[in-house]
This record gives sequence, C-alpha cells and structure tokens, in this order.
Amino acid sequence: MSPDPDDANAPRTATAPDGADMAARAAAEPEMITQEERRQRRRDGERRIDRRSLLRPGDGPMVIFEKVTKKYGTDTYALRDVSVSIDAGEFVFLVGPSGSGKSTFIRMLTREVAATSGRVTVGGRDLSKLRRSKIPQLRRGIGCVFQDYKLLPGRTVYENVAYALMVTGDDQRSIRRKVPEILSLVGLADKGDRHPNELSGGEQQRVSIARAFVNHPRLLIADEPTGNLDPETSIDIMQLLYRIHRTGTTVVMATHDRELVDKMQMRVIALEDGRIVRDQRQARYARVETPIGGVQ
Amino acid sequence: MKPGFFFFEALRSIRSNVAIAVAAIVTVMIAVFILGTFIPSFLYVQSTVDKQKDRLDVKAYISDSATDQQVSSLQNHIKQLQQQGLVKDFQYVSKDEAVKDLKERLRDPSILELLPSNVIPASFRIQPVDPNRNAEIRNAIVEEPAIDHTMGRGGERGVTYAKQTTDRLLKIATFIQYAGLALVSILTVASVLLIANTIRLSIFARRREVEVMRLVGATNWFIRWPFVIEGLICGVVGALIAIGLLWAGKVFIVDAFVERNDSLTKAEGFPISFLALAALLTISGAVVGALGSGITLRRFLKI
Repeated sequence: MSPDPDDANAPRTATAPDGADMAARAAAEPEMITQEERRQRRRDGERRIDRRSLLRPGDGPMVIFEKVTKKYGTDTYALRDVSVSIDAGEFVFLVGPSGSGKSTFIRMLTREVAATSGRVTVGGRDLSKLRRSKIPQLRRGIGCVFQDYKLLPGRTVYENVAYALMVTGDDQRSIRRKVPEILSLVGLADKGDRHPNELSGGEQQRVSIARAFVNHPRLLIADEPTGNLDPETSIDIMQLLYRIHRTGTTVVMATHDRELVDKMQMRVIALEDGRIVRDQRQARYARVETPIGGVQ
Repeated sequence: MKPGFFFFEALRSIRSNVAIAVAAIVTVMIAVFILGTFIPSFLYVQSTVDKQKDRLDVKAYISDSATDQQVSSLQNHIKQLQQQGLVKDFQYVSKDEAVKDLKERLRDPSILELLPSNVIPASFRIQPVDPNRNAEIRNAIVEEPAIDHTMGRGGERGVTYAKQTTDRLLKIATFIQYAGLALVSILTVASVLLIANTIRLSIFARRREVEVMRLVGATNWFIRWPFVIEGLICGVVGALIAIGLLWAGKVFIVDAFVERNDSLTKAEGFPISFLALAALLTISGAVVGALGSGITLRRFLKI
C-alpha cells in the first residue's frame, strides 16, 4: 500500500523537469548526512523505538487523516471529512486559498488543534487518544517552521536553537556540539550570537529551520515558510527544506507560492473550503489538463 | 544542571523585562508593607484590650453590722478561692478608704457632706484570674453572712462584678479579635489578587514566547519553573524592601514615640518580634510570588 520511500523518492527527483535544477543545486551543497547514515536511520526507524519521539510509523504511513472534520463554533468548518495518507519520507505541498483549511491541517499534526470528528494518526499514534501530558513529547518528534518564524525574541540565534535541545533534556555537552553543527548547515555559523531582530527574514527562517531540524525529527511541517520572503530568499529556504527531505524526513509544507510548487514537482494536496479537491503526485500548483501523476 | 538552568532562565527573563519585574516588585512591596503595619497594630490593640480585661474585678461589700468573725470568715473563703485558682489577688478596702475614693471620683464631693454619717460600706476588692468566671466567684461568697445585700444593682446585690461592663468588654475583645482577623484576611486576599494581576500582565506580555516554547515540545513544568522562580525572586525582593521600610518606620517613629512617652514600655510599643514579623512577611512574599505566577501561567499552558 505504501511505496518504499527509496523507490518513491529517487525517480521523482530525477524525472522532475523543472525541479531538476533545484535538485542539482541542492545536491551541490554539502550533504546534511551521508548516504550511509541515511540508510542507517531508515533501518533504525524500522527496528528501534525512537527514545525521544512518539513517532513510530513502522512500515505504515507517517500521517493518516480518516474522515477528519474540524468545526470552529457551531457552523464554521475548517476541514470537512478529509481523508488522506502521507508516507514516511514523502514531500507534500498543501495548497489552497486562504481559509481553505491548510493551517488547521498543519496544526492538527502537532495536536495544537483537535479534530471534531474523525481520526488523525501521526507516526502511528492516534492523536485523539494521546494523553495531554504526552503532547510535548509528540511535538519534540515534529519540527515546525512557520511563516512568522516564531523565534524567542530575547535570545540569541544559538540560544534559540539550543532551547529545542534543552527541552528534550540534552546535556550541555551535546548542545555545544549540535548547535554549531546545525547552524553551519543552514549557513549561519557566524551569526550564533545575534538576536533575531538583527537578522533578515531569510536568516530568521533559517534559524527557525535549524531549530526545527536540530532534533532530527521524522516529520517536519512548514506553514507558509516563504510567505514573508522575497522570491530569491524563498528559493534558498526551499532548498534547505528539500535537503532536509533528502535525509529521509517527511515534509509537509503549506504554501501559496505557485512558482515554488511548480518547480519542485512534488505531491500536491489542494484544499478548498475544507475539502481535498486534488491529490496529485509530481504535480503543479494548479490543475493541468493532463495530470502528470495519477489522482489518488 | 536543571535547577541552575531554570534559575538562569528566570534571571534572563527579569533582565529582559525589567519594567514588568519592577511593577511586580512594587506591588508585592506595597502589599507586604500594608500587612506589615497592620499586623503589629492589630496585635497592639488586642494586647491593650487584654490589659483592660485584667481590670475587671469583683467587689464584695461588707455589712456595717458584720462581726469581725464574719469578716474573717469571708476573707478565709476568698483565700480558699485563691487556692482553687479562681482569684488572683484581693485587697480589703475600709469605709474611710472607700469614701476617699468616692470623693476623688465625684465632680462635686460636697454632696457627701449632706449625709449624716459614712454610709459607704467597706469591701473586698477581688482580682479574678479569668474575668469570664466572675459569676462563679460571686456565687461562692454571696451567701457569707458578712455580705451587705443592700449594696449593688439588679441581680448583683452584695457582691458586684460589673456584669454589664464585663460582658461588653469581653464582647468587644472578641469582636476586635475576629474583625482584626477578617481585616488581615481581606488584606491578604486583596494583596494576592493584586500581585496575581500584575503577574498576569507580565505573563500576558510573554504569551507568544510561551506559545513558541510549547510548540517546540517543552513540557508545562519546563516552561513553568522559570516563571515560578521569577515570581519567587520578585516576591522576596519586594518583601525585603517593604521590611526595610517597616524597620525604618519602627526605629524612627514607633521607638522614638515610645521613648518620649512614659506610659508605654518598649514591649507595649511593638507587640511582636520584628525578626519574626520579617520572616513571616518574606515567606508570604515568596509564596505569593511563586504560586501567583505558577497558577496564572496555567491558562496559557492549555492545548
């Protein structure tokens, strides 16, 4: 039912016509982790239970929505009867106009929003049955990137990233090792002691991505990560997310950015008025007459 | 490492929100200062009332026709009550002394000259151990033959203990006790609410920060501890400043007044050990600060 991520990913990036140059640019960057490590992680994911995160999808999909409905108040629907499944290692764009339910979808994954009816399963966990006290643990297994970065204002770049590690109970030594590592990966090695308000939007988003990825989550969600950025910076951020995806991380990204989606040629889930109106692999932002991938 | 981290986080938060921290400290300071002036004042009033209670004595009037034997029988009876622990002390007041006392109390002593002879009887003035048991003392000795039953009012002929005055004074003492307790409680509640409100404002200003912490998977206590420690620090600092002010007030106002006024001894001027008061206030400041921020934060930790 769910294709092996190796088989699913490789041809997609290779055959993507417009995404090819982006993939090439991404490949030209230093690898985030080596091929060997990546394979090791996948194997680990299958066998060993992840100590820190609750996400243990096993062979099943990373995210499953089953007839999920979310009502705000009595008659405002954010999502109506949404059923969808996202495999581990997939890269998914969530597109649709404002108010179509993208943000609600994203926020359900971290259990910020609970479904009114239906079932949301993340990493093999039924979130409706997840105890309140386990929510922080769920969130540690999910990296979050937001349109407004959501950095802690009073802290330096280094401290912002370190906070995500402190939360998981990492000791100072491993924090001192991991933070500079991830900062250099996002290209901010020399900005560790700056405060967020001293950085450009693109740089702040890089910090946010560093914080999201420093724990090496199995699932990374991004809610309009390029919404506040100019096209050039957006491409940089997109590349970063793509490289994270290539380490085997499942990425779900809500976006308005038509150009980026068209370029990347990834799976696109289109929401409109709380319903999934399209779910297409290797797709563009808008529907085309002859879909490249099959409609699910 | 964890407690150190939380303490460091609390200090960082105070440093980056100085204005809010100062507001919280000033609020605690005012509340503690009010409590710190009210508690000793209340204790002072109460100790004064208690002293008045000591002056409630029993008077046993001795009939002019009583024989010496009858009088000494009455005296023995009172001594017996003293041994039983009912009577603290007693004095014999002769007819002459009684007249002299009366003359001093009358606005126009000349009316006494209208009397053909000294009609004021001699008496025993008895100080009870507990004025609440004055009735028992009266009942024990009222049947003594030496008692002059023409003296006194209403149901208290022969042996009087100013029942009405006693009852009223005891009622007032009880009232002051409860009213004082209620006032201190209300003040405490008001202070707690005031402080909680200030803390709520400070946390409200940082609710975005709390939201981010939650999103990266911080547990509620991981977020809460720095806030609790911050509240504790503000509470203690505010309390210490208030105690400093109270101490200055005690030294320069109360003590100076006591020295100038002979009727007040130092012990009367300040009815509670200042150190005990300071400790009590500091602890309350710390508890209110810590609990206040810990509880207020709860609202922002939901979801």
